[in-house]
Amino acid sequence: MSHSLNEIEAHAKRAARGAGLSWGMSEEAGKATRWLASHDLAGPALLSAVLTQNDGLPHAQVAPAALNGAWRAPAGDLCPFAAGVTLNDCADRLAADRAVEMVNVSYPLLVLPFAAWASMHLKRPVRLAWQDLRIDTDGDGIWLEDPESRINTEKAAMVICEIGTTHENPARRPGKRGTVSTDIWERLNTFAKRTYAPATEASRLLGAGAGATDND
Amino acid sequence: MKQQTETIQTIAKRDPALVMRLSRLGSFHQSRLSFMRILTRRMIRENWRFSRPIFEFDDKGVGQAVYCAHTPDRIYSLIAFGHDLPAEARSDRVIAEAWDSTFTLFDGVPSEADIARLRQNIPLQEAGRVTEKELSVSRANRSVRLWDHVVSSLAAGKQPDQNQINKVGYLMRTTAVYGSGKLGAADREMIADRPECSAPFQIEMLSVFLTRTYVRDLVQHLATLKGGDRAAKLDPGIARSMGIGNSTGLGMAPFLVNHPMLFNNWIAAREEAIATVRNLPSATGAAVAVFRSLLGRSLVSADIWHSEHPIQIEKLKQLRSDLGRLNAHVERADLQNARPWDRLYRWAEAELGEDAQECLASLMLEPYGPLVDHLADQMSDGKPGAFRIDGTQPVADLRAILERAYGWALQINWDEKEQCARAWYVSEEKLEPRLGERFEEPIAPYEQPLAPGRDAAALYAALRDVDSDASLAAFLLAHPEHRHTVRRAQIVDRAPYAEIRDNTIGSDLVPIDMLRCKLAFFGATHFDPRSDRWVRICMFGNAPYPEELQQNQDDDWSYPPLVKGGK
Repeated sequence: MSHSLNEIEAHAKRAARGAGLSWGMSEEAGKATRWLASHDLAGPALLSAVLTQNDGLPHAQVAPAALNGAWRAPAGDLCPFAAGVTLNDCADRLAADRAVEMVNVSYPLLVLPFAAWASMHLKRPVRLAWQDLRIDTDGDGIWLEDPESRINTEKAAMVICEIGTTHENPARRPGKRGTVSTDIWERLNTFAKRTYAPATEASRLLGAGAGATDND
Repeated sequence: MKQQTETIQTIAKRDPALVMRLSRLGSFHQSRLSFMRILTRRMIRENWRFSRPIFEFDDKGVGQAVYCAHTPDRIYSLIAFGHDLPAEARSDRVIAEAWDSTFTLFDGVPSEADIARLRQNIPLQEAGRVTEKELSVSRANRSVRLWDHVVSSLAAGKQPDQNQINKVGYLMRTTAVYGSGKLGAADREMIADRPECSAPFQIEMLSVFLTRTYVRDLVQHLATLKGGDRAAKLDPGIARSMGIGNSTGLGMAPFLVNHPMLFNNWIAAREEAIATVRNLPSATGAAVAVFRSLLGRSLVSADIWHSEHPIQIEKLKQLRSDLGRLNAHVERADLQNARPWDRLYRWAEAELGEDAQECLASLMLEPYGPLVDHLADQMSDGKPGAFRIDGTQPVADLRAILERAYGWALQINWDEKEQCARAWYVSEEKLEPRLGERFEEPIAPYEQPLAPGRDAAALYAALRDVDSDASLAAFLLAHPEHRHTVRRAQIVDRAPYAEIRDNTIGSDLVPIDMLRCKLAFFGATHFDPRSDRWVRICMFGNAPYPEELQQNQDDDWSYPPLVKGGK
């Protein structure tokens, strides 16, 4: 179904929060999902997959254990949002021509929006690569090279982020709507629903301040 | 020869620590920078045309209408559906499921197929679905008492009683106007580069402006069907005095907290305007005459502003008395020389309550359209990248920001129950935002991040043992729970009016303060709280109707005429 990008962002943010991400992380997960959806990439589907996989896991278990050296989780795989926000926080490292290496990343496409924001900050193209896939981004557009269709891969043993190259050919630019299947939307909704307080008669009456009559 | 060294210090914008308190934000008044006035000025300046290609209703008001606004470059159409609503189903709450009328603002002119599609969806509101051709979705309920009075008076060949109209102020009130991508509609980003959409909420304001015309036409239509040849035509002056009501609940309060950069830009534009006028070395007689005249009309406005809510009754009592004192002072004060507006403002700061101070601050801008109206262009949030956190910032710098911008919050003991007695949450029912009692209801696990002060204090405490030179990136890697607040702090460092500098979860919180601030920026008047968490207002009261716009070049319709009932 066609959705507005604001709807996708709001829904994704709630779903991320429902799966246990902090509010700040959820805000960025929402924006990342929106960014991918605007490029007609599988942001909502991969969000749903990673939330299902990491449901309830503590951040410390899926985030980089340290900032020096290659980033890896203490055990198991890196959450792409934990890796992504850290990448954007540390974007200036890339400018010093230092690549960021991330080991065992779940759904690495979800890191791409963070690389794009790093690129906007640095005002230089940034490249994300795993297996034989390369994506360059200037923040808004992307140049995708993906001979083996690895873009939606569940896991990459190594993801490298570094300053990219400028391209002659036009970039793929974002659209203004996103498409999300009913199935994925509903799966995200099961996470989002966890953030809603069950309605009680008391909250219905008091919580929004009913009392005075509506009619005059 | 000795050089004259006297320098006059420039008056800066008011301190956020003064402006961003809830009691002051809850005392804001409309101004030249209100979104309704930005819209009507543009309509007049660009000579917008209006048409009504469809208007079909039976004697119960069931039917449909299309109203088109023709700008120089494009057409926007309000599509209105009228319904026969049983009295027991009439509710202003978000959780309502049926309304007297439902609307959408369409981008362009709708085809028959569009209207047929929308007829299946718009009457359902949140349960329906729209597309990127639709820019807003809204609904309205009748003020039954006034509606019946106006229809029966006109049908009997008489004009309705102006006193009864003044008591309510509108024939219909909207209970939600959804824009920017809600329910599948076009995102604001899709239209933000159109000049007529560049200021905030212009689409929503246009929708309400056209809704008011629809309501006037519908009440006349029903009266004519009922009275036949005997029916009177509604006096234009009486029609003019009627606005569109709006019932606003808690949903607006989180908006201000959730859009810190946008909120900053609204406040900063008005503060810039106030500072500009305070810095004027002198004022012309003509400027003073405009000010005096609108102050007189503000007194009328305060007089006809009714509320039964105890808080508002007290505020109104003081506002009326203060405006009376201001008027007396203005009669004898020199308003022309030696920075007259700054002297007047400082007199008010010392002598009057916040409500009258803010009324004066807005009034002072009135004679100076050419100096302040352009600030409307700075009120949107054109920098969507503001959410990026600078992870290279040293911890010491963040600490300094927290001390500067959240000093008020660092002094509060957030463990005390009364300081955190409330929690904001979203209800499962239609996702209605609500405010509950943290220690009496099981809502804490669902709390929304709407207490920036408490969260800033928690961040400050967490930073206590962190090395001052350490970078935020490392801190955030270990403390993702503070990411939200670090982002806010970095925003408020660049945008000083981004944050409400008050407790938004305390036992003494009055949520309607947040609602009034936002509604005043819309241009609303006559705030009438119905509880501590929802408020009724009037929009476009005394505004020109589409065909009257060109006779109203003065942009002063927000102030009621000195003679009640039309000018």
